[in-house]
Amino acid sequence: MLRTTLLAASLGLMTGAANAETLTVYTAGPGGLADALAEAFQAETGIAVELFQATTGKVMARLEAEESNPQADVVVSASWGSAEDMHARGLLMEYTSPNADTVPDFLKHSHYTAQGISALAMVWNSQSGVARPNEWADLTDEAYRDLITMPDPAQSGAAFDLVAGLEAAMGDEAWTLLAGLADNQMIVPGPNAAALNPVLQGAKAVVFGAVDYISYGRAAAGESIEVITPASGTVIAPRPIMILNSTDNADAAKAFVDFVLSEAGQALVSQTYLMPSRTDIEGLRPGINDLSVIDVDADAVSARRDEIIARFNETVINR
Amino acid sequence: MVRTQSILTVLAASTLLILVGLPVLFIILQAIFPDFARGSLEGAFSKLVIITENDRLLLQARNTLMLAFSVMLGSLLFGLPIGVLRGLFHIPGARGWDVVFLIPFLIPPFIAAIAWMMTLQPRGYLFQLLGFDMGDFLFSFTGVAFVMTLNLFPLVYFAVSRALEMVGGRFAAAARVHGARKLQAFFLITLPLSIPAIAASLLIVFAMSIEEFGTPAALAARTGFEVLVTGIYNRLSDWPIDLSGAALGSVMLMAMVLAAFTLQNWIATRRSYISQTGKPADLDQADLGAWRWPVLGLFALVAAIGVVIPLAAIAVTSFTATISGGLSWSNFDTCHYAEIFQQGSRAVQALITSGWLAVLTALATAAIGGLVAYIVVRGTGRGRALMDGLSVLPNAIPAIVLAVGIILAWNSPYLPISLYGTAAILLIAYIGILLPYPIRYAIARLRQISGSLDDAARVAGASQMQALRHVTLPLIAPSLIAAMMLVFAIASRELVASIMLAPAGMRTVGTFVFAQFEQGSVQTGMAMSMIAITITSGILLAVNLWLARQGSSAFSG
Repeated sequence: MLRTTLLAASLGLMTGAANAETLTVYTAGPGGLADALAEAFQAETGIAVELFQATTGKVMARLEAEESNPQADVVVSASWGSAEDMHARGLLMEYTSPNADTVPDFLKHSHYTAQGISALAMVWNSQSGVARPNEWADLTDEAYRDLITMPDPAQSGAAFDLVAGLEAAMGDEAWTLLAGLADNQMIVPGPNAAALNPVLQGAKAVVFGAVDYISYGRAAAGESIEVITPASGTVIAPRPIMILNSTDNADAAKAFVDFVLSEAGQALVSQTYLMPSRTDIEGLRPGINDLSVIDVDADAVSARRDEIIARFNETVINR
Repeated sequence: MVRTQSILTVLAASTLLILVGLPVLFIILQAIFPDFARGSLEGAFSKLVIITENDRLLLQARNTLMLAFSVMLGSLLFGLPIGVLRGLFHIPGARGWDVVFLIPFLIPPFIAAIAWMMTLQPRGYLFQLLGFDMGDFLFSFTGVAFVMTLNLFPLVYFAVSRALEMVGGRFAAAARVHGARKLQAFFLITLPLSIPAIAASLLIVFAMSIEEFGTPAALAARTGFEVLVTGIYNRLSDWPIDLSGAALGSVMLMAMVLAAFTLQNWIATRRSYISQTGKPADLDQADLGAWRWPVLGLFALVAAIGVVIPLAAIAVTSFTATISGGLSWSNFDTCHYAEIFQQGSRAVQALITSGWLAVLTALATAAIGGLVAYIVVRGTGRGRALMDGLSVLPNAIPAIVLAVGIILAWNSPYLPISLYGTAAILLIAYIGILLPYPIRYAIARLRQISGSLDDAARVAGASQMQALRHVTLPLIAPSLIAAMMLVFAIASRELVASIMLAPAGMRTVGTFVFAQFEQGSVQTGMAMSMIAITITSGILLAVNLWLARQGSSAFSG
């Protein structure tokens, strides 16, 4: 009896599986955004969107495990490097949306385009009792001893980009800075959420290198935190949207990319406190022209990834 | 007669092979062939250098074992005394306590870790209430072992209490007649008879603590205390993904658990632990008399540390408007619950999905687990040891790697139809991951039951199936029911396999909560957890009370 129940359950569920009229999208957060985009897209085109939402790591792990029989049509990642890598492996379809005209050139490529952009920043708890820091290097001051957290570059692509970016801008002084932070007892507790949480409760006072849009959102929800972007420069983390070569639904996939880059889609992006990738759409927070962006040679940095992470671990984690 | 046995054996073996053997095989293949997921067999064994060239790995392996042994010790410390008392004595509200000690399984480990962090870290809830914090304790080896112990000690409690219920007081009474003192009778007779159950539960504790990721990730990362599973997750947590390295790490974990399993098996089979021979005996749990209040005090203390504190931290967090606002009435807000119901269909959909998945998983694991246990203990075939060993592996493999194995196995383009991409794949994963519980519990129970009971039924003219149904099954039912409740509890909030395997568009409680954490809304995640915990523990309590009303026959040995 049990077996028939199971069989019935699985057969019943299979009928709900994807068909030609649905588009399958794998996406890294923010979760509310993907839901909103999918709903609005379906309202406009009638095409249903099945979402798989997780972290960039989980999305990539799933894509990789499925590689012999891909399931997704469109992928949104939080890591520009992951798109470059997938393109290099020939997994992406060439497509530039007509709606991408006002996306700056460095945020689009023949095979992928930024959906939105976050920047790396310091997040300071204003009730922490320590002074507001202005610059990355301020945090090596004795006043911040034992009060700093940082996302782990091995677990957060954006934090990795920051380390690489600081190195590009400052050379070896970047490593002196990181060593100074380590001397100041900075902790590296895990991915972004793990680094932010102790600062929210006040166990720590500042995040060094937080992805900014999450914190803008929390501050808007009433948390006593402030996002501080150093004037000396920071790195940005564009979030690429791309179509898989293996899709059997290319038209719908292109329509979805068009929608995400349309005015309506970009407005939804900006509501999550990400910077919209189109320069003609207003954001809810300082935009890309208000930031001093460190230029990073992505290809060169990707090639040195293992080396940079090893040096970070040596300098900060396993001193 | 031989036919029934061999049909059952084939059935049990093939189910195990499909649910567990297949993903394990694909993990091993992925460990050997780095490009296996891309359909290529090039570069065989090239990944093995990460073992030889990496001295951190050795340190991680040592840490992993240290942690696992500490958690085993801790689980005995917390679970054994109350388990013994629950098995041998009338505890007021016994069924209520059973449900209370199931609650740790309803709380996803990473949420429990965050709850403890928010309670004990500097400026946490403890500090806000009493003016001091215990951050130094929490972010240490002891702290990690402490939190993991609290997630796992109920395994010992349930195994020991069920086993002792069955051993009962008869043997101790016989010893007393022969002049043994009370404590002597307990330590020399009663406790040793429940060794298979204790060993079985410790094996699961061992396997779970080397595989568990949430707690070490949240707490140990800060102390520089690295375990193997942290490395495995890191290989899968950001681009570039290293499936092969993760698979290789998992193979090492499997080897550790198989070694522990061999030891456990040796302990459990080197002598007879049969205590159930069919002689009529009442379930003679003794009255506590004057000890009633101290014993209840002990139960309350364990429940306070293991259940009330983390649950209270989750509840309090879910009702605060902002985390930085801390514990003050002006910060009290129900907006996070409102947010969940505002998202309406999505949250409710997640609850319903997890609900039916948990029910089906509990039923299926009990059926398959009971069958496998029966074949392993009572059968005669050669493959029994293999089946036994295979059935512990899911606990040794980090769920994320098992999920990758399942994708590799079930998403092959060569399959004519595939369950991958449907909810059925989640069910297959849950059953595979949770099978060890009913199998361990039922095997331990069966080792206490004399085979002569079966024989007697057969002599009296029953077929093998009839003997199985009317004699053996009712006797192992209490352990299977206890295991089913564990399975239901864990399945209702399973996270990692769900993230990797849920078909696009489907949400479970675990993935919903995790998504909230990722977006930074810790309180909404905690609120959803509270709702799920309340519903699930309500269901478990109702089932428990219903069973009680069915009469104690289903529960007594």
